[in-house]
Amino acid sequence: MGLKGNAAIVGAAQYKPEKYATAPQMFHLEQVADLAGKALADAGLKSSDIDGMVIHGPQFHEAQVFVPAMAAEYLGLSLNFAEVVDLGGCSSVAAVWRAAMAIEMGLCQAVLCVIPSRMAPFGPEEDPSWMMRAMRFGGHSTAFGAPEAEIDLPYGHMGQNTGYAMIAQRYAAKYGYDPVAMAKIAVDQRTNALANPDASFFGKPLSIEDVLNSKMVAEPLRVLEIVMPVAGGAAVIVASKEVAARAKNRGACITGFGEHLSFKSPTYAPEMTDTPIGPAAERAFKMAGIQRSDIQAAQIYDCYTITVLLTLEDAGFAPKGEGMRWVREHDLTYKGNFPMNTHGGQLSFGQSGTAGGMSQVIEAFHQISGRAGERQLKRCDTVFVSGTGGVMSEQGALILQGA
Amino acid sequence: MSTNKPLPSATHISAPYWKALQDKRISIPQCQDCGHWIFFPRRHCDKCWSQNLEWKEVKGSGTLYTYTIARIPTLPDFADEAPQKLAVIELDEGARINTTLIGVEESAIKVGMRVKPVFDKVSENGTVLLRFTAADNDLPSERDSTPAAQAAAAQAEAEAAAAAISKRQIRFDDEAAMKALVSEEYSPWSGQVVVDQELINDFARLSGDNYWIHTDAERAAKQSPFGGTIAQGALVQVLQSRLTIPLDFEVTGFNNMVNYGSDRLRFPSPVPAGSRIHARSRVKSVEKLAKGMQVTMEIVTHVVGSDRPSVINDLVILYM
Repeated sequence: MGLKGNAAIVGAAQYKPEKYATAPQMFHLEQVADLAGKALADAGLKSSDIDGMVIHGPQFHEAQVFVPAMAAEYLGLSLNFAEVVDLGGCSSVAAVWRAAMAIEMGLCQAVLCVIPSRMAPFGPEEDPSWMMRAMRFGGHSTAFGAPEAEIDLPYGHMGQNTGYAMIAQRYAAKYGYDPVAMAKIAVDQRTNALANPDASFFGKPLSIEDVLNSKMVAEPLRVLEIVMPVAGGAAVIVASKEVAARAKNRGACITGFGEHLSFKSPTYAPEMTDTPIGPAAERAFKMAGIQRSDIQAAQIYDCYTITVLLTLEDAGFAPKGEGMRWVREHDLTYKGNFPMNTHGGQLSFGQSGTAGGMSQVIEAFHQISGRAGERQLKRCDTVFVSGTGGVMSEQGALILQGA
Repeated sequence: MSTNKPLPSATHISAPYWKALQDKRISIPQCQDCGHWIFFPRRHCDKCWSQNLEWKEVKGSGTLYTYTIARIPTLPDFADEAPQKLAVIELDEGARINTTLIGVEESAIKVGMRVKPVFDKVSENGTVLLRFTAADNDLPSERDSTPAAQAAAAQAEAEAAAAAISKRQIRFDDEAAMKALVSEEYSPWSGQVVVDQELINDFARLSGDNYWIHTDAERAAKQSPFGGTIAQGALVQVLQSRLTIPLDFEVTGFNNMVNYGSDRLRFPSPVPAGSRIHARSRVKSVEKLAKGMQVTMEIVTHVVGSDRPSVINDLVILYM
C-alpha cells in the first residue's frame, strides 16, 4: 500500500516571517513566481523540469476559481498535474504527499507545492477593511445554511482559541493537567529558535515563568502557548528519483503519509481528546515500514501547545494520557533526546497563515539535507512531520527519509 | 432594535428547531431507522444516511462535555457576556450542542456536571437561544436578555443603589472639602441605555451626521470593519445625560451652575448599534476662581463589558 519512496523534496524556499504591517505587499501570483524561483534555485533545477503544481486555493487574492491555470499561465509552466488543497494548517503536509503520489503514478516528474501568505496590495476599488471582516469570525463560515453560522456563532463559539481550549479542558478532566509541562513545550521550542536566525523570536529567550505569567486567553491556554500570526509564504519542489539525482541537495524522500478528517468542530468528534492524527500517523508509519523509535526528529504542527501534546500522544510517541509526564522527561531541543520543532516551531518561528505548516516540512528537509545551521542534528535520516487544520479537524502525517 | 452579535438564520431544514425553542421546547431530529439523535439538524441521519427522520422533543438534560472561560471576548460584540463560559453539552440522548453556561460560578464548573436548559430570548424578533445551567441551580428556565430588558434591569438596579446612598452635602465654596473630592477612583457604574438603530437614526436626522457607517445597516454589514453600524461619537457623548451615576456627594449652596464645556473629548472605541452603554465618573480637579469654584469631572462611557471606554469627557462645571 502507498508510496515506495520514489519522490523526494529537493528544494525549498520560505519568506522570513514578518509582521503584517511591515511585510512587503505582493500579489499572490507574484509571490508564487518568486517562491517557485527561489525553491528551484535551491534545488538547482530548471523551470522546464516542473510539470506539476499543488497550490493553496482559498483566500488566493487574484482569483477564487481556476487558480492553478492562472498560476501556470503566470509562471509560464506546462503542467501534467494540477491540484488545489484546502486543508488549513494541514495543507502543507497534504500538498507534499499529493505531489509524491502524482510522481509515483507517473503523472509528472517535478511538482511545485506553493502557499503564498503575504498580503496583496489593495486596488483602488478594494476596501482594506475586507481583511478585518474576513477575520471577524476566525475561519467560521457566515454563509446562510452553514451549520456553524447558525448554531455556533450566536453563542460566541468562533475562531480557534476557544476550540483548542475546550479540548485542553476536557483532556485535563480525563487525564489531569500540568501547566508547567505545557509551558515546557513552548520553552524548549524557544531554545531551538535561539539557534535559528530566521525565527520571529530569535534572540528572545523564554522561561517557564514567562509562559505561566502570560495573559490567560481561554482557560487553560495562555497567550505564550498560542502562535503569533505573521506574513510569509513558502514553496517546496518534490521530484522523481531521476530528477532528484540532478538536484543539488540530499533529497528528503516521502516514504509514508496519512491523512484523516471527519468533522470541522471537535464537538462532533466521537471523543474530542482522540485526535485525527492517530489514524493518519498509524498509516504513515505502516506505509514507511518503520517504528516510532526510528524517528530522529519530529516536526509537529504547533498552533497551540495542546496540539503538540495530543500529537505526541496520538501519533504514538508518548503513551495516551501520559504526555505531560513524557514532556517533562524529554529534552525537546535540538540538543535533546527527542528533537522536536528544531526551527522553533510556529510558536517561536511565527505562523505565516496556511504557509505556517510548511515551516515544519522545510525544517525536516533542511535537517535531512544537512543545512540546518547551528541547530543541525548530528544524524538526521528519518523525520516525522505533522499538519493540523481547523480545530484538530484535519490532520496529516509525513515520514521523510534521506535519499 | 439591532445588534451586531450574530443571530441564527433558520433554514428550511432547521426551522422546527428554532420554532420549538421559541415555544420553550427542545426538538431535534431522530432517525426512525437506527434511532440516532441528530444535532445539528440535517436532512439525513449522519450515522446510517437514512432520510427517514422525525422531530422529537427532548428534555434537554445532559452533562457538561467540556468548556472554557474566554478571558478575551471571542468577538468585541460579546464583551457584555465577559467572561464567556463557552460549553459543549452532551444531551442524555447523546447529541452534543455548542452553547454557553449561565448562572454558574466559575469555580463550580466541572466537566461531567449535570446541566439543564435555559431558554434565553435574545432579540426583539423572538429569537431564543438554548443555554444551560447547573441541574441543581434554581435559575428560572426562561430568561429575557434582549438588550432592552437587560438595560431596564440595570437601570432599576442603579436607581435603587443611588437611592440607598446617603449623600454627603458639600458647600460649593468650601475649598478644602471640594478639593477633597478629587480622586483617582471612579464612582460605581450608572444605569444603562441601549443605543439602538432607531436612536442612531434619530440623532442622524437631528445632527445631520448620517454617514453610512451609522445609518446604512445593509452596507455596514458588508463593508464596516465592525460588522454593522456604529453610533455617532457625539450621540454617545450626549447620552451621558441619560445615565444616572450614583455619586456619594452633592454640591450645595450655589446660585448658578454652568456647563463650561469640555477640556478633553475622545471617542477611543466604537459603540455598535444595539449595544448597551453605561458610565462612571470621578472628580479630576477642583480650582477656585474669582467667579466661583471650577470642577472638572472625568466621565467615561463604556459599552457594557468592554475595558476600553467609548467616550472620555473631561466636563468642566463652574459653580457660582
